[in-house]
Amino acid sequence: MATSVVPPQLAQAPPPEPTRRRRVRHKGAIVGFLGPFVALFILFYLTPIAYAVWQSFHKVEREGTFGKATEVFAGFSQYTRVLENGDFWASIGRVLVFFVASIPLQLGLALLFALLLDSPLVKGKSFFRLAFFAPYAVPGVIAAIMWGFIYSPQISPFPQVADNVDLLGPGLVMFAMVNVVNWVYTGYNMLIIYSALQAIPKDVIEAATIDGAGQVRIAWSVKIPAVAPALVLTGVFSIIGTLQLFNEPRVFQSISSAVGSNYTPNLMVDATSNIPDYYFAAAMSVVLALITCTLSFTFLKLTQKRAFG
Amino acid sequence: MAVLTTRRRRSAGALAAAAAMILVAACGGGDGDDDTDSASDACKPAADGEKVELTFTSWVPGMQKTVDLWNKNNPDIQVKYKEVVGGNDGTYQAYSNQIKAGTTGDIGMVEFDNLASFRLQDGLADIGACEPMEEAADKFVPWTISQVSFGEEGSAYGVPMDIGPMALYYRKDLFEQNGIPVPTTWDEYYEAAKKIKALGATIGDFPPDQPAWFTSLAWQNGATWFEDDGGTWKVSLNDEKTTEVAEYWQKMLDEKLLDTVPGLGDPQWNALDNGKEWSIIGAAWTTKLLENSAPKTKGKWAVAPMPQWEAGSNAAGNWGGSNAVVWKSSKHPYEAAKFATWAFSDPEALALNNANGGQYPATTEGQASLPALTEGLPYYGGQKVWEVFAQASEGVDPDFQWGPTMTQTYSDLGNGLGKAVNGQATIADALADAQQKTVDTMKAQSLDVTE
Repeated sequence: MATSVVPPQLAQAPPPEPTRRRRVRHKGAIVGFLGPFVALFILFYLTPIAYAVWQSFHKVEREGTFGKATEVFAGFSQYTRVLENGDFWASIGRVLVFFVASIPLQLGLALLFALLLDSPLVKGKSFFRLAFFAPYAVPGVIAAIMWGFIYSPQISPFPQVADNVDLLGPGLVMFAMVNVVNWVYTGYNMLIIYSALQAIPKDVIEAATIDGAGQVRIAWSVKIPAVAPALVLTGVFSIIGTLQLFNEPRVFQSISSAVGSNYTPNLMVDATSNIPDYYFAAAMSVVLALITCTLSFTFLKLTQKRAFG
Repeated sequence: MAVLTTRRRRSAGALAAAAAMILVAACGGGDGDDDTDSASDACKPAADGEKVELTFTSWVPGMQKTVDLWNKNNPDIQVKYKEVVGGNDGTYQAYSNQIKAGTTGDIGMVEFDNLASFRLQDGLADIGACEPMEEAADKFVPWTISQVSFGEEGSAYGVPMDIGPMALYYRKDLFEQNGIPVPTTWDEYYEAAKKIKALGATIGDFPPDQPAWFTSLAWQNGATWFEDDGGTWKVSLNDEKTTEVAEYWQKMLDEKLLDTVPGLGDPQWNALDNGKEWSIIGAAWTTKLLENSAPKTKGKWAVAPMPQWEAGSNAAGNWGGSNAVVWKSSKHPYEAAKFATWAFSDPEALALNNANGGQYPATTEGQASLPALTEGLPYYGGQKVWEVFAQASEGVDPDFQWGPTMTQTYSDLGNGLGKAVNGQATIADALADAQQKTVDTMKAQSLDVTE
């Protein structure tokens, strides 16, 4: 069997380690190159996170109708509010359903398109590669507005569909949004998988062909195992992306009465910080970040053995 | 790192929020560290010969022209104007962050319903004792003054800019051709709705995404959602008057007599322009909006007073309207008040505001004598529509008060109204839910609340 000789790691052999002396000699340059990044990273990434965590442990105190606010330490009380907030957990549940409805289809299609582009049977590869990827160049908000326009009764260019099927009603609106998300991200994920396919050494494919394997067999036994790490990567991206879903429901909020300001966790954080109840919003963000981390790492752990051997 | 890029990609707003947080962090908590000066002490004109520069933000189209006129005539008090997006579209969030960071500038724009919220954030200067405001206070429609003073004698947390008294815009041609009388009461409105339904159209829209619209309907019926009861907030979103309004519209929804598309957007404008909806209960500012958004039906429209709960009365709701507020961090409240009172009560300025931005003034004299407001409008078949709004303005209940967490109240009420038009719940459920969440949110702000 040809598969047994393919070490998937081969595709990403690390570059040779630079020697210690060289590293020391270029210390100045390293600091010079990394410095700006590290400074910005601390300033715009770590500091806001630290500030959010700090805020989530506080609350305001005041007296009277318009009493002046004083910020006081509140322990875990904001977190208690989050845990007891039915709307927040309902929004988490909604994005999990959204995930189940969109990701298998999205990644399945991405893998299929990538395999088709990689197969010698398809002509005009660069055209299709660009065509599949093009939607990703459309900003998410614009994509949502465009599809929203297509879905809306009375203004849709496809009134036969939009007037008769309530795509924006409570029953179907989630799938209407799943379609927008998949339309945008399938091509993006396809490119990641496709570049992993490119890294498979030609002689492995040749060996399999000489062994008598057809294109489907090669795809199943050689290519898919080889791109498993890329699939896991896109999977993790998708978990994070879905939990942080914001653009699409935010746009659909203005055209569908079935999408409220508490539809997804991120929408809810946004609405809460507009009240403005920064402390509660901060606690929600922290909880959401923890859930995202937990799910991503669980997914990695579950798939790591299979994908990375 | 991959995680970082994905996050960046998916939520563009995060970066802006992060930047705002840095600002806030850098400036330290601005809360509770400045002394409260009494307004009269703080509100003094600058020394003679000192040049004052003020900043002013608003989203009224063409406001720059009013500012230019002021700058030409007042070399010592120069105003720098900046146009921003509508309050709920992002400017309120920016204001909130600026209040925390202490960078609000001098004059901003806040709608009536959000005034309490910004006062709660301790962002507004009380200019009630500023000389220019004291002198101008009598010029404004009385209920607008009680809105900006929160019922406290001599206080003013803003200068009323414009108001939105409501009326019924209707397709005169369609009502006449079909022999349907223009409704003057809500009962007649219901009867008319049934007849129009039979003709394959609807009398109007129930926009689930416009909780402020529904609020105005409750306001018309004398609802009191919020009361300041000696330091304690009394919240009653589902009081008797509101329940009456809710039941009425629930009946209309149950019998499918209304359209339920989102309001003030293409779906509604198209329906109005195509004769699918025959009327809209709108505010004074809807005049220009309808004209621009439904151009095909020019000349076929007319405006009548809002339908009444009791025949013969003159009660109107108010939808929208704004104030020029002087921020607490302003170093020149006197000059800021001087500019704001001029810009929104001087006849010349009001004429500019109306011509460029379609503003309906909040001053009694402005409403009565502004040339632009006494002419007939071609879009409305030559009708002098402003007379209807002047009359409506007198019928607005002056006692209605707004809550201090109105953004939240609106968003929860809007979520509930969405479920109501989808048949998943009722308007009464929406009110009960918004009531509960408003009380919870206010308690989280450490306010004393009773129901």
